[in-house]
Parts: sequence; structure tokens; C-alpha cells
Amino acid sequence: MRQINSICIIDDDPITVFGIKKILSTVVDCKNINTFKNGKLAIEGIQHTLDAHEEIPDIIFLDINMPIMDGWEFLDAFIKLSIDKIVKINIITSSIDPFDMHKSEIFRQKTKHAISFRNKPISKKEIQEITIAA
Amino acid sequence: MLKETKTDVLDYLVKQLPKATAFINAKLEIVYVSDKWIEDFNFADKSIIGTPIYELFDTIDDDKRALLERCLLGMPKQVVTESYVDETNREKWFEWTYTPWFDASENIIGLILQTDLVCEKVSLEQEVERLELLVKTKSEIAKIGSWEYDAINDSLGWCEMTRTIHEVPKSYIPSIEEAINFYKEGTSRTAISKIVKDAIKNGKPWSKRLQLVTAKGKEIWVVVSGKPRYTKGKFVGLIGTFQDVTSHIKSEIKTKESEHLLRTVIDNLPLNVFIKDLNNRKTLVNQSECNYLGVKSPEEVLGKTDFDFYDEATALISHEEDFRVIHQLKPILGKEYISIKKDGTTTSFLSSKIPLFNEEGGVTGIVGFSLDISHIKQKEEEMRNLINVTSLQNKKLINFAHIVSHNLRSHTANFSMLLEFLMNEKDEAEKQNILNMLADASDNLLETLDNLNEVVAINTNTNLTKQPVRVTDKVIHVQQNLSAFLKKHKAKIINKIPVDLTINGIPAYVESILMNFITNAVKYQHPNRDPRIELNASQSEHQTTISISDNGLGIDLAKYGDKLFGMYKTFHEHSDARGIGLYITKNQIEAMNGKISTESEVNKGTTFNIYFNETD
Repeated sequence: MRQINSICIIDDDPITVFGIKKILSTVVDCKNINTFKNGKLAIEGIQHTLDAHEEIPDIIFLDINMPIMDGWEFLDAFIKLSIDKIVKINIITSSIDPFDMHKSEIFRQKTKHAISFRNKPISKKEIQEITIAA
Repeated sequence: MLKETKTDVLDYLVKQLPKATAFINAKLEIVYVSDKWIEDFNFADKSIIGTPIYELFDTIDDDKRALLERCLLGMPKQVVTESYVDETNREKWFEWTYTPWFDASENIIGLILQTDLVCEKVSLEQEVERLELLVKTKSEIAKIGSWEYDAINDSLGWCEMTRTIHEVPKSYIPSIEEAINFYKEGTSRTAISKIVKDAIKNGKPWSKRLQLVTAKGKEIWVVVSGKPRYTKGKFVGLIGTFQDVTSHIKSEIKTKESEHLLRTVIDNLPLNVFIKDLNNRKTLVNQSECNYLGVKSPEEVLGKTDFDFYDEATALISHEEDFRVIHQLKPILGKEYISIKKDGTTTSFLSSKIPLFNEEGGVTGIVGFSLDISHIKQKEEEMRNLINVTSLQNKKLINFAHIVSHNLRSHTANFSMLLEFLMNEKDEAEKQNILNMLADASDNLLETLDNLNEVVAINTNTNLTKQPVRVTDKVIHVQQNLSAFLKKHKAKIINKIPVDLTINGIPAYVESILMNFITNAVKYQHPNRDPRIELNASQSEHQTTISISDNGLGIDLAKYGDKLFGMYKTFHEHSDARGIGLYITKNQIEAMNGKISTESEVNKGTTFNIYFNETD
């Protein structure tokens, strides 16, 4: 099974978090999976990791519609952090608004991090794809 | 001797006669002549005594000689006019009188010839002849005939032209009654009879246009004029002219008809039509233009300029346009402009101005057409507003569709994922766990549907009628409903809204809005102080403003301002935050045609201002 050091899931919906975790457990070997209920908590957590010189997540699963700080605001803050490696950020949303897709495209061009856009529900096959390349 | 003497005496007497006189004997030889006679015919250096008269004058031809012979035989006095060309080739006219010369026993022994120079008399006659010709020519060209009524002999004379106009033969001689009967029965004939009678009786001259039926039955128009003639103060008849004016009348009628037609057309056009001269003065306006300018007849407008009717700015623009059209000879077509009259009335026009040319191709002014398009403009404005409202609603609808889609999708995504897990799960405990999650997902879906239903209800229940709502009653009611909640959080409500203040709204919505804001104010209270909520109101002619201020956490509006009233947007870490309250509140306010604004400072508090429209 593929080994991944650190994965981060940012979503306010516990069922989605449960689902992603459950699928991940079947496709990768990762001891370090962190979950955050919104963008604000996530960016604080990652900042903390950065400050403590700990492992930055290799893969991030990011929801868009969240309270306090949504996915876009998180991305805004995240791409400003000085992170050396390329992080795979996977936007997983139930929004099919073309505007959201377009917005992800803009972010893709603004950062070195790999950003992808997928609709819920996420399948096992998609998670396999995401994890293979990392 | 005696005879000699007698002859000498006679000779001497005749010589001195003041009138040119010659005595000739039966052989037509000159016997005696007066000096005047010799002078008139220039015989001074000729010996003419004893010379036959016909030898002296070429003009005495055989006819004249025969006449002289007849006089010798006793024919009474004859007068003959003859021309005589003298040595200088000047023609002179003389009137000769031949009178028999009797001796003492009444025997004709010769003739006494007297001559008078009649040059002037003859040229006068010629002048009359010339004038007559002129009159005749004139009458033929102008088709003006003449007539004369001799009252003494009761006879009527028509000239050739008058007869031609009547279409009668040259020999026709009318009586006055017949002449009158040529006039068309009715008005014309009655008129001429009365006029003629009046002229004879009262000496009244006239000129009248009447209808006449010619001898050949043709109906024509004539102008007949006349005046009485007097000799030594006594009425002797009538004299006058007679003119065929049919073609003139016909073209006059035709001109009048086309003028009338043109006038009818322009007066009934739903367009303002006007013509201006080179000095911008109006020379023609139609009924629409009169109505627009607020005058009864065109006479009140003619000769005036735009400065007499419009405000300075409008008149100036129009004046410049006129100038351009006249000097560049280029029409202005279909230009939209707003015209303001002196009384402030504003009208939108679609206007054209076209240069006007005379037959020689010179510009004489402009002709203008203006179509009042105020109502179209108003419709356009209404349409634009409608489009704005519609596009706003459309935007809201799309937004709502995305919300619905998003919310339903998030639940169904969970269902499908959990079901897949369930199908592949072997572990019974995990299976139970997944089933519990499915139950939660189902509850969430139901709640979401309830929320969406509520929003749909607000937006579709537009037939809920607005009515006066006393705000204080609603505040008290909300306070009662929330009493336990308020008490628990030690919240204090200060209501500064006047007791009698009413707003135009839907009672249930007003209560719901108040409930939501008060609940929020308490829910998002500042941890360091007890909630304090103040309600205020201000009223103007068009709207009432209700303000709800709290001393809570406050919201960073720079960051969240545009999302504050969005669905499922929450900004505070609070377990109760569902992100639906403000969305519904906003929908309710908008359903009442109201508006909302927010002022907030983090850690100090928030004020929501709700504007109720009182005009509809």
C-alpha cells in the first residue's frame, strides 16, 4: 500500500470526512490524517505545523462551503504560506456552479500547488488517482 | 366800264375774305380767289385766274368733276374732305364746301369753293379709330367684352367679344330682358336683376361675379361690371364690361381645393408640422402644433420664434439646428430631443427639419415635423425598470437554484457514498455506524427541505397583502415568546420605538424579522458583557426605518459584508449557527419591498437598519 506522510481533510460535514477517511484507509498507508471543520481552523493548524517545523500535508481535501472561513478564503491564505513542496489540493464540493469551477482555475494559475476540482460524492477510484501521483 | 368796275370791286372784296374761297365759272375756271386760298395752297407765284380747278388739283378726279358739274346744275351744298400734298411734301387735309354761285336773277353762274384746313380734326378721328382697335385687341386678348344700354331707346348693344362669350351669332341683338335671362336661374339671375334695377334707379355702379348659361348651354363664370351714364345730369343708360372668368374661377376653385386638402391633411396628422422662414419665424403651423403650444389658432403663432414659446436652452438648441439646416442645406432626420416650454412642460420629440426651397432653388426656410414620443419614452423607461427587476429576480432565482442544487447534492452525495460503504461492509458494528449516519443524513435532508420550503413560500406568497402593523405590539409579542431565552442570557431590550408607530407590512414577517434579529443579538453576544438590544425608529414621508442595535461580537463587514445574508453562511463558531436566519429575514424584507443595511464593528456590536417603503 502506498505510503503518504500527511493528509489533511477540511470539511464541516462529518459524513464526508468519515467517507474520505474510510476510503483512504483502503488505498493508502497514512498515519497522520488531520481533519478541520472550517478553513480558519485548518489554516491555524497548518501554520502551527509550519511553525513547529513538522510535516506539511502532502494532500489536502478541501470543501468550499464552510462556516467562518470557506474554502476560497483558506486557499487565499494557504498560497501565501512559504511552503517548499508542492501540495496536492483537491477541492471536493457539491457545488456544480460553473463560477466555482472557474474560480478554482484562477487559483491554479496563481500558485505552484496542484489544485483539482471534483464533485461530491468522491469515489474510491478518484482517491486512488489523487494518492498515486503524490 | 361799270361792269369792269363791278368786277374790280368784286375781285377786291373776294381777295379780302378771311376764309379760303375760290369762285369758279361754269367751265370750272377760277374767277376770283381770296388771298387766304392762295396762301393755303401756295399759288402765290402762279397765275391761276382762268385756270380750270381740276388742273390745279390732282385730287379732283372725274368723280369730283362730276360732283362739281352736278352742283352747277343746282345740287345743294356739298362737303368733301380731301388731302393736299404741298411742295414740301406735307400732307394737309382740307374740307371743301361746294356752294352754287347765283347771279342777280338766281341763275347758277358758277360755284363758290370754300376750304378749311382740317388736319387736326382728321388725326383726332384717326386716334379714335386707333383707340377702337386697341380696345378691340385688348378685349380679344383679355376676353373682356363691353356692352352699352341706351335707356332712351331701350336698346342694348353688345360688342363682338360679349357676343362670343354668350355664344350667340354676330347678328344677335339682345333685349335687356333676354340679356338677364342668360344668367343662371337662382342666385345669379336674381342678383343681376336687382343690380341692374338698382343701377338704373339709384345710379349705383357694380362689378359682380356671376354664373351664366351660354346660348349653347355651357355653364360659365363671368364678371360683369357696369355704371350709369348721364348726359347733362340726366340718366341716359348703362355702360360696362363683361369678362369670362371661368378658367380663372376653375383654377381658383382647384387651388382652394388643394389648399383645403393640404390643410386637412396636415391638421389631422398626429405630427406637429411647422414651417419657419429664414429668420426662424413660424409661417405655418398645423393643429397639432397649435395644441402643443396651447393656442387656439395658428394666427397666435405665426411670425413668432421659438424664443416666444420655449425656455431659453430649448429655443437656443432649436435655433442652432435651424441655422445649420438653412446654411448647410442638410436635413436633420429623426432626431430625438427633449423640448421644454416656458411653463416647464417637458415633451420628448422625434423630430426632422428639412430645408425648404423656392422654384428657383433658393432656400426660403425650413419645414419641420415633430412626433411626440413622450409616452413611448415613458414606456421605454417602464420597460427598462421591468427588465432591471426581472434580471434581478432572475439572478436571485439562479442563485436560489444553485443553493438548492448544492444542498440537495451534498445530501444525496452522502447517501450514495454511505450506501456504497454499507453494501461492502462486513463488520456488523461498522454497518450499524453507517446506518446511524444515514439516519442523520436523512434528518439533515428533511431540515434542508424545510428551510428551502420556507424561502420558496416567502418568494411565492406575494399575494400576502400589506397592512399597517404597530411595531411595538410585535416587539412585545416577541419579548413574551423569548422571555425564558432572554432571561437565561440576562438580555435587556430597550424599545425606543414610539408606541403608536405603524409601518406598512406583513404582520407575520415583521414579527419573524424582529424575532430573528433579537435572537441573533443574544446568540452572538460578547462573552464579556450581558446582551443589550436597542430598538429605534425614524420616519420620513416615504419610508420608515427600524434600527436594531446590539453590543455583541460584531461582524467584520469588510470580510463578510457580501455574504452576511447568504444562505448557509455562518461567521461565528457557534453550534447553533445554521446560516439560514438572515437569509430568510432578507427574503421577508424584500417581499415587503423593503431594504436592509448593516453597520458593525468587531467586539463592539452590530446595527441592522430595516427600511420599510411607505409609498406602495
